[in-house]
Amino acid sequence: MSEDTGSEVNGDAGRNEDPADDTIAVGDDTAAVGDDADADASDDYGVALRAVVKRYTSGGGEPVVALDDVDFAVRPGEFVAVVGPSGSGKSTLLNVLGLLDDPTAGRRLLDGTDVTNLSVAERTRARKESIGFVFQDFHLLPTLTAVENVAMPTAFDPGDAGDRAADLLARFGLGDRLDHEPSELSGGQKQRVAIARALINEPSVLLADEPTGNLDTETGESILAEFERVKAEGVAVVAVTHDPLVEEYADRVVDLTDGVMTGGLPTDGLPESEEGDDR
Amino acid sequence: MSDGGGRTAGGLAGWLRGWRPAVSMASRNLRRNRVRTVLAVLGVCIGVLAVAALGIFGNVLALGADDAIGDIGTQVVVSPNNDAGVESLSDADIASIRRAVDGPAVVPLYSDSATVARQGDQTFATVYGVEEPALAYEAAEGRLPERHRQGAILGAGIAEDLDAGAGDTVEIAGSQVRVIAVLVESQTFSPVAPDDAVFLPESAFSADGYAQALVVSDSGAEARAAADAIRDEVNAREERVDLFELAALVDEINEFFDLLSTFLLGLGAISLVVAGVSILNVMLMSTVERRQEIGVMRAVGVARRDVLRVLLAEAGLIGAAGAAAGTLLTVLLVAGLVVATPAVDAALVIDPTNGYYLLLALVFGVGVGLVSGAYPAWKAANERPVEALRS
Repeated sequence: MSEDTGSEVNGDAGRNEDPADDTIAVGDDTAAVGDDADADASDDYGVALRAVVKRYTSGGGEPVVALDDVDFAVRPGEFVAVVGPSGSGKSTLLNVLGLLDDPTAGRRLLDGTDVTNLSVAERTRARKESIGFVFQDFHLLPTLTAVENVAMPTAFDPGDAGDRAADLLARFGLGDRLDHEPSELSGGQKQRVAIARALINEPSVLLADEPTGNLDTETGESILAEFERVKAEGVAVVAVTHDPLVEEYADRVVDLTDGVMTGGLPTDGLPESEEGDDR
Repeated sequence: MSDGGGRTAGGLAGWLRGWRPAVSMASRNLRRNRVRTVLAVLGVCIGVLAVAALGIFGNVLALGADDAIGDIGTQVVVSPNNDAGVESLSDADIASIRRAVDGPAVVPLYSDSATVARQGDQTFATVYGVEEPALAYEAAEGRLPERHRQGAILGAGIAEDLDAGAGDTVEIAGSQVRVIAVLVESQTFSPVAPDDAVFLPESAFSADGYAQALVVSDSGAEARAAADAIRDEVNAREERVDLFELAALVDEINEFFDLLSTFLLGLGAISLVVAGVSILNVMLMSTVERRQEIGVMRAVGVARRDVLRVLLAEAGLIGAAGAAAGTLLTVLLVAGLVVATPAVDAALVIDPTNGYYLLLALVFGVGVGLVSGAYPAWKAANERPVEALRS
């Protein structure tokens, strides 16, 4: 394993009630997916949160509750839009879903595997293997060409992902822009490069933070059309947005206000789970 | 066993492979802010130049001094102790000195002074009687006989004064003597100064004892041992002889030059430390500016170790570029000095020990880069991506 195993321990014991789950490390054995001893219905989900609470303690004052007992799940091939006013916890939701931040309480599942407690190195690996990020500001590295940006998540791994990156870019209509630097690309082109980067590792979940926020309507629509193609390949897509256009394209719109989520779970086949006990 | 070895080799290969993209990304990041990079490189370059140049100057000074002092440390001059009433060294004294030193050649000398003249030039010189001049001296002209039976050997200085060479005839105390050899100019500072002396066969003297004896060693250490042995054995019962030896003085001089070298290196090192601080500053600034980029790298799954590699490679490249430039500049500077200053002996400058200072400065330059890059790199790599992305 890698040397960076210093884990971030979340000082919450209540989360570890289910001993069958908390020892499973994601990434080590993808075979374990679907083989989970805890046979709850979350197996079907690309990503799921169970009774997740996220509290921030800010400078001695009252802790801010960004996520308040959130149940959320997205199926593979489903496009979910999360809407809500600013400061309602949407970014926190994405960070927790994307393994950038840990929940204060509750459980987090990725491909049916519990990923609530992971070391920093394990989380990094899980992000690389299972999660794709698309940011509002694209966040491409300015020194790298389009194709290098796409291959960047795997740049330090054995093997050259350059061909796959080029294929992805060609798929997004950027086959003639492979060696352009981000400064030479339009906003829509940059966002396509960013989506290609998010897909380089064939993730099961694509998380988008205001993906159309910096784009005009027409370009936004073309980006959303790309999302539709991505979800058609069986990727669970979650987009946090203010843009009504995104809601139009989404299979399901989830509202998050003051950390409280409504409609977080798919309406059909709601799992008979143990949430009742937890609450 | 072999499995473990294979894993180690594979680990090493993987480790090396990780550096290639890191160095590639690092060099592009450095090109982004060329002015800043060039200034940081210049800082290291000056630091390395200071260390290498001052180190080499110190070394050349020490080598030059060593050369000038020559073999003063290898000769011990034994004289009769006049205070104890000993007027001259007897054959018995010489024999006991020979017994005591065991190894170094012992060359007894008669001594007198006389007027030496040739074709109107005349000078007053010390005249030594010596049987085996070849043990203690070297000829610049002519040949030193194994047994000195006839003719005169001139010191370099007196030969020049009289414009005399081997084969010429000089007048010594009224008698015409043929010059059989002229000595190499002496590097030695000693009571027996051969440059302004004339050496005649022992048979030319009618004294009943030797005025001095030279103990000629190969090294300073041997000379010191010889001097100690003479003190212990010849002077055991009675202080019969006085000793003149410079080995201890040479040690002191060498110590001084060591100190000087260290001092100069220290001066250079200060500028290298300043260069290190400038790299630290540049790397801190650049990681703060690129906070979001680093956060994105971490978010999309680049490991902390790999982020660390990119940033360390940046600092290392600055250090290496500066060190290479500084080393090159030092070589040019030193070469320029040698060309411009005839007094500096080129042989001293191309002495291999100077290469050691070049190498030292080169290693220091790269090392300073890595050390000063380590903290900013560590700090940036360990920042939580969620914090970095928020800004």
